Amino acid sequence: MEYVKKNLGSYHLHLIKNTNFKSVMVKVYFREPIRKEKITIHNFLTTMLTFSSEKYPTRREMFLKTQDLYSCSIASSDSRLGNYLNTSFRLSVLKDKYTEEGNLEKAIEFLSELIYHPNVEKNKFDEKSFDIVMNQACLALSSIKEDASGYSMIRMLENMDEDSPISYRAFGYLEDLKNITRENLYEYYQEMLKNDDMDIFVIGDIDFEEMDPIIRKYFKQKTFKKTKGDFLIPAKKASIKKRIVTEDNEATQSKLAIGCRVMNLEDYERNYPLTLYNIILGGGPDSKLFSEVREKNSLCYYIGSTANKLDNLLIIRAGISRNDFKKAIKIIEKQMSDIAKGNFTEEDIDKAKELYQTAIEEIQESESEIISSYYMIELLGVDDIETKAKKMREVTKKEIMKVAKRIKIDMIYMLEGVQE
Amino acid sequence: MEKINFSEELELEGYYEKLDNELEVYLVPMENKDKYFLTYATKFGSTTTTFTPGDSKREVTVPDGIAHFLEHKMFEQEDGVDPFTFFSKSGTDANASTNFEGTRYIASGTKNYEENLRYLIRYVNSPYFTDENVEKEKGIIAQEINMYKDEAEYAIENTLRKNTYHKDHHRIDIAGEVEDIEKITKEDLYLCYNNFYQPRNMFLLVVGKFNVDQTKRIIDEELRPLVNKTETIPIIKEIKEPQSIKKKEETIPFNITIPKIMLSVKTPISNFKIDDQFKLDFYLRVIMSVAFGNGSLFRERITNHNLMTRFYTDLESVQQYKTIYIYAESIKPDELLQEIYQEFDHIVVTEEDLERLKKVFIAQEIKQADYVDGVTMSITNDLIRYHRLIHNPIELYKSLNIEELNKVLKAIEFKNRALVTYVPKNMPSFDKN
Repeated sequence: MEYVKKNLGSYHLHLIKNTNFKSVMVKVYFREPIRKEKITIHNFLTTMLTFSSEKYPTRREMFLKTQDLYSCSIASSDSRLGNYLNTSFRLSVLKDKYTEEGNLEKAIEFLSELIYHPNVEKNKFDEKSFDIVMNQACLALSSIKEDASGYSMIRMLENMDEDSPISYRAFGYLEDLKNITRENLYEYYQEMLKNDDMDIFVIGDIDFEEMDPIIRKYFKQKTFKKTKGDFLIPAKKASIKKRIVTEDNEATQSKLAIGCRVMNLEDYERNYPLTLYNIILGGGPDSKLFSEVREKNSLCYYIGSTANKLDNLLIIRAGISRNDFKKAIKIIEKQMSDIAKGNFTEEDIDKAKELYQTAIEEIQESESEIISSYYMIELLGVDDIETKAKKMREVTKKEIMKVAKRIKIDMIYMLEGVQE
Repeated sequence: MEKINFSEELELEGYYEKLDNELEVYLVPMENKDKYFLTYATKFGSTTTTFTPGDSKREVTVPDGIAHFLEHKMFEQEDGVDPFTFFSKSGTDANASTNFEGTRYIASGTKNYEENLRYLIRYVNSPYFTDENVEKEKGIIAQEINMYKDEAEYAIENTLRKNTYHKDHHRIDIAGEVEDIEKITKEDLYLCYNNFYQPRNMFLLVVGKFNVDQTKRIIDEELRPLVNKTETIPIIKEIKEPQSIKKKEETIPFNITIPKIMLSVKTPISNFKIDDQFKLDFYLRVIMSVAFGNGSLFRERITNHNLMTRFYTDLESVQQYKTIYIYAESIKPDELLQEIYQEFDHIVVTEEDLERLKKVFIAQEIKQADYVDGVTMSITNDLIRYHRLIHNPIELYKSLNIEELNKVLKAIEFKNRALVTYVPKNMPSFDKN
């Protein structure tokens, strides 16, 4: 896989040659330091840009255009990366061999059209589109409780640390919607173009010499940018006594969400031993949580853990019966302390390493994943894939135990199903 | 093995054989990929609960949800080694799933190919059910059932199926009810296992990076020697589903904020006079897409009037019927319904629409054929849905014509429909700004 990175002043262009795919993918990233009060307008903007444009002023015309371009797909996403708000616009389109000469370039032009030629008149976003997006956003933000599992996660984090970005709602806030107008949305849009850090990735069976001028042609931006932010959210100590919060929900199943602080780890520890710790604890159907809470005690159907490295957090989630709350917590705590005490085998470590290895190898199966891994190298300066594979193989049991001792439950939250 | 002649545009090669024991094998090697994907499946899904075993004359009825229960219990092995543990030793991802028509056991990874393929075949061929391990599973599955019960989108679909069909077993939830699974015994499991996990009811599919010759050798050693356990094929009780709708309308209060509606339109397959199910499904999908898809004027209208936050259509095949589903979330469900009903009477598909959708569907087939998971899903669906591999989808798409499509459109019984509405227990007000 050939890779070049070019500094074009206002953004970095990354070209990745990979002949294994029939499609070409283009991903345009924007990012800015996260501000709680800007999340809602930011998401609103992302939706507006993909909803309609100057040339394709309705949702329908946009969609028919993607069908014309041999069913190319356009997607956008907003997410939080530690202290940053990250947005991507993604195009996936078959290469010309399977469509017609010039189709790829037309699709790239279409993507740039969405970003640079929005549906705006006299410095205001189009009223019709604006009203529809506003209405949809309002309903979406009014109904977040419908996703009980997602809601339990939000509430757990808010109870854990209300003021920290870890608990910011990535999809925004109902009360902030009210303040968005067609005018200030346009101002925000211009601000984003001016201030946000930007990267463009192109991957596929492409010729760098041909692709470079195409991207320059359709992504012309004059502002010069040079920033390097700190993505990591500083580690906080867990409260001395673990806190328990429960809330009622008109449902059968109860959703358990546990937030653990990951304290005082070095970069190496966070990137390597912590990853293995998480796999052993709750990373899949062969993990300790799965085998103890589900298989041996029949308390749940799903249980698992995730390590949010940039947040210095480890999160455990499960769907249980409300009556099993105490029992489940006891078993979960026992698994965590077992790992800290070294009650796990070399075989457990080897299996975790193998799972990691496969995950790394499977990145090659997806253009989107390949781009993401280069993006992380770009942003966080993490090791490249080969180095990661090598370093992970050398992690020791002692290192995992050391990390385990630095992980402490801070908040236990349960959204209680009261219909049982 | 014989060669599978995939449509040229897909750039796939493949091999097929029906072994002497009637087990079907499909191999699709993909040179430039890094991973392999194994599927070992039985055409035994949740709808089969009444049948005459292959070595008996007496019809039996087993509890609902048994196919799914059996899927869970296949992970129990006599030597105590959990298949998840075995696969994870080589970093291989393993799983299983049950739907109405089948149950599949899958493993995908990049390493340890030969051992994993052998192991997959062996563990699915070595059931180990005890009173104790059957009992233990009930708590886990009860949690799974409860989880889905709370999810409005899943629940409304179940209610609608119950109201659409009088007898067809698609009306029964795949996992069954908690009361059903409480009744399941290890004897029930062995009975189903012995009848439906036989070579003649199963297939093996291997896709991705692997060596064909090596795989043939493994098939010779692991699959060819397998024998069918019963003398004849078990006879599944045929269910005569009446044409009418069981319950035309129902409204249920649910723990939600935005009302949800789901409609079904039930048409006898005999109405359509098209033998090729794949073709028929394609026509129906084109019609739904033109009438209700993102590119439709209907969708533009309801979007502009803020009549929905989510909307999609789906298609289901049961033994004698094709059922079209329409799902939507809307704060004005009645207005939306009027729009949908009106559209039913005014659907027009032009030649241009059809040509555009052919182009779209062909492009999507080519895209899908580029991914190991995509090829696996597509072939598995073909085998379970159509009982054959659709090797030449592109030629089939190209052969479709507007005259035939219009006949299909006319044959749809839009009036033969059921509606389920889920409403919030406490209707909130949505005042914006």
